[in-house]
Amino acid sequence: MIKNRNLPSGTRDEFGPRAAVKENISSQLFSIFKQRGFTKLTTPILEYADVFKPLNLANYRPYQLLDEQGEALVLRPDLTLPVARMMSTTGVELPAKWYYGGDVFRVKKQLSGSYNQVTQAGIELVGYSSIKGELECLTIALAGCQATGIKEMTLELSDARFVEGVLAALPVPEPTKVALKQALFTKNLTVYNQISELLADTEFGEFLSEWPWLFGDFDTVMKVVQRLPKIPKVQTVIDSLNAVNQFIKQMAPNQHVVLDLSIPSPQTYYTGMAFRGYTQNASDYLFSGGRYDDLLTSFQQIKEPAVGLAFDVDALADRVPLPDTAKQTLIYFDSAQWQEAEEVLQETPNSTLCLADSRDEANRIAVSNNQRLLNLTKEGE
Amino acid sequence: MPIKIALTKGRVEQQVVPLLEASGIDCSGIRNKGRRLIFDEDPVYETILVKGPDVLTYLNSGSVHLGIVGSDILAEQNNTQYAMLDLGVGRCRFVLASTGDFDPQQVRRKIIATKYPNITKRYFQSIGEDVEIIRIEGSVELAPLIGLADAIVDITETGTTLRENNLHVYAELQPVSTQLVVNRLALKQYQSEIRTLVENLQKAKLNLGVNE
Repeated sequence: MIKNRNLPSGTRDEFGPRAAVKENISSQLFSIFKQRGFTKLTTPILEYADVFKPLNLANYRPYQLLDEQGEALVLRPDLTLPVARMMSTTGVELPAKWYYGGDVFRVKKQLSGSYNQVTQAGIELVGYSSIKGELECLTIALAGCQATGIKEMTLELSDARFVEGVLAALPVPEPTKVALKQALFTKNLTVYNQISELLADTEFGEFLSEWPWLFGDFDTVMKVVQRLPKIPKVQTVIDSLNAVNQFIKQMAPNQHVVLDLSIPSPQTYYTGMAFRGYTQNASDYLFSGGRYDDLLTSFQQIKEPAVGLAFDVDALADRVPLPDTAKQTLIYFDSAQWQEAEEVLQETPNSTLCLADSRDEANRIAVSNNQRLLNLTKEGE
Repeated sequence: MPIKIALTKGRVEQQVVPLLEASGIDCSGIRNKGRRLIFDEDPVYETILVKGPDVLTYLNSGSVHLGIVGSDILAEQNNTQYAMLDLGVGRCRFVLASTGDFDPQQVRRKIIATKYPNITKRYFQSIGEDVEIIRIEGSVELAPLIGLADAIVDITETGTTLRENNLHVYAELQPVSTQLVVNRLALKQYQSEIRTLVENLQKAKLNLGVNE
């Protein structure tokens, strides 16, 4: 069967208001990035599959094809690793501030209604190890949501070093820790409770019974954390989370901040704080990012500190109301009047030239598109 | 906005409704459902009845927040949402079964019929064997009897159907039970409601004597 009238599963055309909204959002985000002095970086859509080895491929299954040597190529499922590849191979001076925009491709379960091409816009800060990097990302996250008209966004902070720090301090053998971590991360309460029962009588008992639920309002979560015995490594993590929370309180006093200390890091290369934003009644994140000082280690020996943030432009577009469709003006004119028509076009907001050659045809177009017809000719009068 | 639950209709529904009721959820609509599929009698939880394999489709898309479904389907569909609570009902097990003359040690690539190709593939991989899998939609017991396959991988509760068809169990695979599954983001968005439900269900299990 010839498939010239079908789209592959998981793809779609975008046009009209939806396409306009997405373009708007991208340009609003880009202008924030540019205004803060970031430099544009565009990487190809096609990359070698090996670039994305650090990704957990359960969630990032890429479209694959072969190049002429038989090497596996993929449509990029992520935009951060290409930046790392580029950094490690081009000798760009550090530190650097990049911004990017483009589509990523992830093959989801067939016939499940999911869409396999997602537009992202984001930033990467490479070579900055101080917490100022995180703060810059969060500032941009809040500014981006504000600029695109997102209301009531919840900002979630997390840090996988917390889980590692607590596990390291538990007085149980390594295999038990691994099993406990697995149950915690998958929120398998049946298994989790069986294991944590073993520690019920220790100084960790009270904390462990709450751990799978250790997410939610920042201050509430921190109160539970205080039930833990002092663990120096954990304290450092707590201190930096508190510092970030304070920063946000000052910068955006009404911003709702939640904390999740029960989840794994988003990818293996994350080394510190992670942050995401969501709204109450939708099933996807608006942005996500964090510190990943191990990002470059799959490309080179030397570590470089890195922190970044990516907006999901499609998720933002889902929440932004479609622009009101004010009546467009259709300018009908003779070819000889092009210059005059051009001037009217410049002066009239939301107008467009009528490229039809007869008044009747111009009328028909105006009616079918709900446009106001502006006639510059003497025709039909 | 109510919290939406996709409940597997049929046997799971019958076994789970008493647990939901003991957890304080109004299930009067489900008990007298007629042809309805959506039940909004309870002020907090709205329940929809769907087929087991569809639970994760609704849950993954975020159309529902919670799902109640067998671990057989979760394993077959490589679930990535939170399977938070074993409800302790719908207990059965996966088995490798065949006729009396089946030789598990036979030296050739076996043909296995099943409704669960992923679970079958993982099991044989785990014992270092490669098999040809034939997907069957129902009455899997027929396959070795009619000569379509050497053996089957299927779930059994008591083994009665297997015995009645003269099939023997050659290996026990993973156990199966009904699970409460939670959409990852919904858990954050409805933390207190979901926590209350989970704790009520845990109590209900104890009160109704459902064993771990």
